[in-house]
Amino acid sequence: MITAARLAAEEGANSPLLPHTYELVVGGFAFFVVLFVVGKILTPRIQKTLAERTDAIEGGLKRAEEVQDEAKRTLESYRAQLAEARHEAARLREEAREQGAQIKAELREEAQAEARRIIEQAHAQIEAERQTAFAQLRVEIGRLSTDLAGRIVGESLEDEARQRRIVDRFLEELEGAGSEAVR
Amino acid sequence: MSTLTLLASGDEFKAPGLELFEFPPIISGVPWFTKPVLVALLSTLIVLIFCWSAFAKPKLVPRGVQNVAEMGYMFIRDQVARPFLGKDADRWMGLLLSLFFLIWVWNLMGVVPGIQFPVVSHIAFPFVLAASIYVLKLYLGFKHQGFFGYFKNMMFPPGLPKPIYVLLAPIEFLSNMIVAPFTHAVRLFANMFAGHIILAFFSLVGFWFLFENLTPLGAPLGVLGVVMTIGMTLFEMFIQFLQAFLFAMLAAMYIGNSLHPEH
Amino acid sequence: MSEQKRRPEDDGRDFANAAWSIPSYVLSGIIVYGGIGWLLSRWTGVVAFTPIGLILGVVLSVYLVYRKYGR
Repeated sequence: MITAARLAAEEGANSPLLPHTYELVVGGFAFFVVLFVVGKILTPRIQKTLAERTDAIEGGLKRAEEVQDEAKRTLESYRAQLAEARHEAARLREEAREQGAQIKAELREEAQAEARRIIEQAHAQIEAERQTAFAQLRVEIGRLSTDLAGRIVGESLEDEARQRRIVDRFLEELEGAGSEAVR
Repeated sequence: MSTLTLLASGDEFKAPGLELFEFPPIISGVPWFTKPVLVALLSTLIVLIFCWSAFAKPKLVPRGVQNVAEMGYMFIRDQVARPFLGKDADRWMGLLLSLFFLIWVWNLMGVVPGIQFPVVSHIAFPFVLAASIYVLKLYLGFKHQGFFGYFKNMMFPPGLPKPIYVLLAPIEFLSNMIVAPFTHAVRLFANMFAGHIILAFFSLVGFWFLFENLTPLGAPLGVLGVVMTIGMTLFEMFIQFLQAFLFAMLAAMYIGNSLHPEH
Repeated sequence: MSEQKRRPEDDGRDFANAAWSIPSYVLSGIIVYGGIGWLLSRWTGVVAFTPIGLILGVVLSVYLVYRKYGR
């Protein structure tokens, strides 16, 4: 082998820029075999896998996004419910206060009306009693006065009509002074 | 290794040269079956096994080999396909990924112990790849812009003063039709070719001055050679990756320009 | 050709286009105009045509790259 190499070297071999025909054939063969196996068969496979991987990663991201959205929505709805409840409570409180005030006012009014009614009743009763008392008094006083006058004068007043007039006059005078006294 | 021992067996140090790239048939009588061919086929097998174990049944949650291979896929997709092809990126990923993986493994063979031969340092390999891209570029250009439209868009880009076209059209034509595909192949070839010579040189310095011809004066030189071999190996690994990436990137650029003419 | 709206990645694409087109264009310019200059030198015997052609090739190709991607 060594001698062969020396021989080849001594023969002053080809220029390095001139291709050997059989190497062209072998190189072309090697290239096209690699091109067929790697380029035509294997590259589509890895491209498919890479595409699937991208899909998987993007799908995962999308799912995470969805979950986050869901959580956000839930939180939002909780917040809304809470706000609504607060609002409702405030409304109820306000309503109760209003109702309370109204009830108080009504009660007060009722009590006042009752009081007024009682007072009026009392007034009326008093008035009636006074009237009655007056009527009785008038009759009593008339009789007493006649008796008194008859007794004082010693004579019976013959004329009924005159007697009546005298009594009435007397009474009116009396009444005028009496009502003034009552007032 | 055989070349190294061969070169080192003389009486005086001789820097390695073109003989680094000359190989006899492995089986005498089968002239085409040489070391470059063997390494090229072996690398192809490695690419196929690697990609098959990674991508044959891809998992949604990547593990092990798939993880590593996916990094390669993402790199080519984000740095090569999408910037140059935009929405057409996915359709051309198969081609670009095949180019990138195949070239990278071919290059890596330059630093794998026991093999130490970057396949594309034989110009036939980058040549056949660049030629395939060239044919594809012309086909796509004619298909998407029409035969005359393609040349018109190429040689008369809009927005230049009219008389200048006469001067610039030949440059455009030569650049796009001949120089660009040529440099596409030669850039990859030359980088690997030069890298291989440099590595061989430094490792030979180390081997010669530390083992073959150990002298007090030469020993430091040998140590320097070993250190430089390690450093250059790391650098070379970077270049191997970079060149594989660049080749795929230029392929994407040519395809993109054929699909949508430059504005 | 069509005036598409510019996306941010277009800038990256243009930059890479320009960066990787420059060597190719400059080389082409040198070949075309250096070649013409060399031929003129051979036919007329005026040696100056070759360097003039080479320089013209470089200038024109740089100008081309500048006009195509530079703005």
